[in-house]
Amino acid sequence: MQQTRKKTILKAAVCLVLLAAALIGLRNQQYLLTLLNFVCMYMISVSGLDILFGYSGQISLGHAAFYASGAYTSALLTTKLGVPVWLAIPAACLVSLALGIIVALPASKLIHHFLALLTISVGQLVYILISRASFTNAMTGIRSIPNIPLFGYELKSKYFFLIFMILMVALFLIIKQCIIHSRVGRAFQAIRENPVAAGGIGINVQKYKIMAFAISAVYTGFAGAMYAHFVGFISPETFTSAQSVMFMTMLLFGGMGSFSGPLIGAAIVTFLNETLQVLGSYRMMVYGAFILAVLLFLPHGISGLIDIVKQSLFKNRGKEDRHADA
Amino acid sequence: MVISLIIGALMIGSVYGMLALGYSLIYSASGLMTFTQGQLLMIGAFLGMQFYKVWGLPFLAAFLLTVLIMFLFGMLLEKCLIRVLLNKGAVSIYIVLSTIGISIILPNLAQALWGSQTIQVPSIFGVTTVKILGVSVQPESLLVIAVGLIAMVLLHLFMTKSRFGISMRAAAMDPLAASSLGINVSLTTGLTWAIAAALAGGIGVLLGPVYGVSTGMGDIIGNKGFAGAVIGGYGNMYGAIAGSLLLGFVETFVAGYITTTYKDFVSFFLLIIVMIFLPRGLFKAKVYDSD
Repeated sequence: MQQTRKKTILKAAVCLVLLAAALIGLRNQQYLLTLLNFVCMYMISVSGLDILFGYSGQISLGHAAFYASGAYTSALLTTKLGVPVWLAIPAACLVSLALGIIVALPASKLIHHFLALLTISVGQLVYILISRASFTNAMTGIRSIPNIPLFGYELKSKYFFLIFMILMVALFLIIKQCIIHSRVGRAFQAIRENPVAAGGIGINVQKYKIMAFAISAVYTGFAGAMYAHFVGFISPETFTSAQSVMFMTMLLFGGMGSFSGPLIGAAIVTFLNETLQVLGSYRMMVYGAFILAVLLFLPHGISGLIDIVKQSLFKNRGKEDRHADA
Repeated sequence: MVISLIIGALMIGSVYGMLALGYSLIYSASGLMTFTQGQLLMIGAFLGMQFYKVWGLPFLAAFLLTVLIMFLFGMLLEKCLIRVLLNKGAVSIYIVLSTIGISIILPNLAQALWGSQTIQVPSIFGVTTVKILGVSVQPESLLVIAVGLIAMVLLHLFMTKSRFGISMRAAAMDPLAASSLGINVSLTTGLTWAIAAALAGGIGVLLGPVYGVSTGMGDIIGNKGFAGAVIGGYGNMYGAIAGSLLLGFVETFVAGYITTTYKDFVSFFLLIIVMIFLPRGLFKAKVYDSD
């Protein structure tokens, strides 16, 4: 037990040193820094989706709605009402939370195909609203959203924004792990495995389903707010159903219901997305092919694949040991 | 105004109805869901355009050829993807995701083959408008309504009167019992996917001359057809048609009298309202998690 703890501490220390080294090395790579900022945002939102789909087994194909609610709340509050950024971000999370609960109230009763349709419809509703309403400037979007001030210093440089984002990713991942290993997380997993049995052992299925939706919405809403403050400009095109599909692709590709899955998925799909820019609108086809490939050949995503490789490595090592004994 | 709105509503209602029939057939036969119908409609429209406009075939030939190709395509989809996933023991949500994967790939495929511009298809009949009760109507929209009606009646006769249709319903009700009676269940479920694809493709060909053909034409229509099926009671063939017609009427009249900007907003809102307050639809379907 002590040894494993020492090992994890050592591992964490090595990771931190590597991260710091990478950060120092990347100091002036503006393009890479932008990409990494996006990776961090997606990591947070996909982790949120993982809590909902990976851990509590409820699908959402309309997560762009929460992404939009976070981004637009924060942007509107700061640009139109002049609310300080540090108040606008919690407000964005609260609005996403409220939207999550509103969606979850009917959603918590439905089986998954209907849930898929309901969440698609919610995504469409939010998109139609933000692309037509005058208070969101319709298709023109919102410009000059202020950056995040930290200790009286604005996070204008992508470099410092990235450091801030990494801290946020760490914070949200720690919260996610705490939730997953708590009573609530165990209830989520029980509901995922069998809602009827979960209800039978006294879990309030509907309550926990709503909770999963609400937590997930906060994660994605926060990521949306970060997007708005990082880019400084938002328009409805970012929040189409393609965005929801991308979140789902990231989650499936990385591996559901795992710590590393959403991180791997977010990183790989973001970078692939950039390298595939040459394909233009055909990029969507790659998402589709990814989804099919994962479903057909990699049901646990990349993180599942890594687990399998690890296991087979250990097995081989075990065999060698046995040979040595003989 | 009212009469042209009614004809418009009937037309778009039959389009949704054809898609909804496909959704319902697949669901009642295998308990599975598909999200591909809208994109199959789009592919059908492009195929029809290719045969009719580019190759200059007579419209009827183009229509029948497209329906046949879509029928085979639906069969292929079931055999090469859905059946494979089912044999791997995939849960139903994975099937849904796989159909979403397909529906992402199809528009890109169409774009690669036919480009991203909207293509206008010449009118089927010599005239551009006909007068009905004093209003001018596109004859193609009447054709859509007529074909929709014929397809519904044919499908009803097929399911209730023909031997094959009855065995299909038996396979849907209890696959194990049906297969022990010598019904080829794999064939019957494959056939439902094929019929669903043929319905979507056929109506797509007819929509070509009305709206023009574009890669994005299936996105919203597919979801609306799904909504029609849900409103009517998912899995119920007759409910699917009723729900779709209702949706068509609500949408057209909202667009005609209240707002065109928020037309789609109203349809999706209606869907959500139905899902909250009447989740079994007008004709009772099983939707709850713990049924």
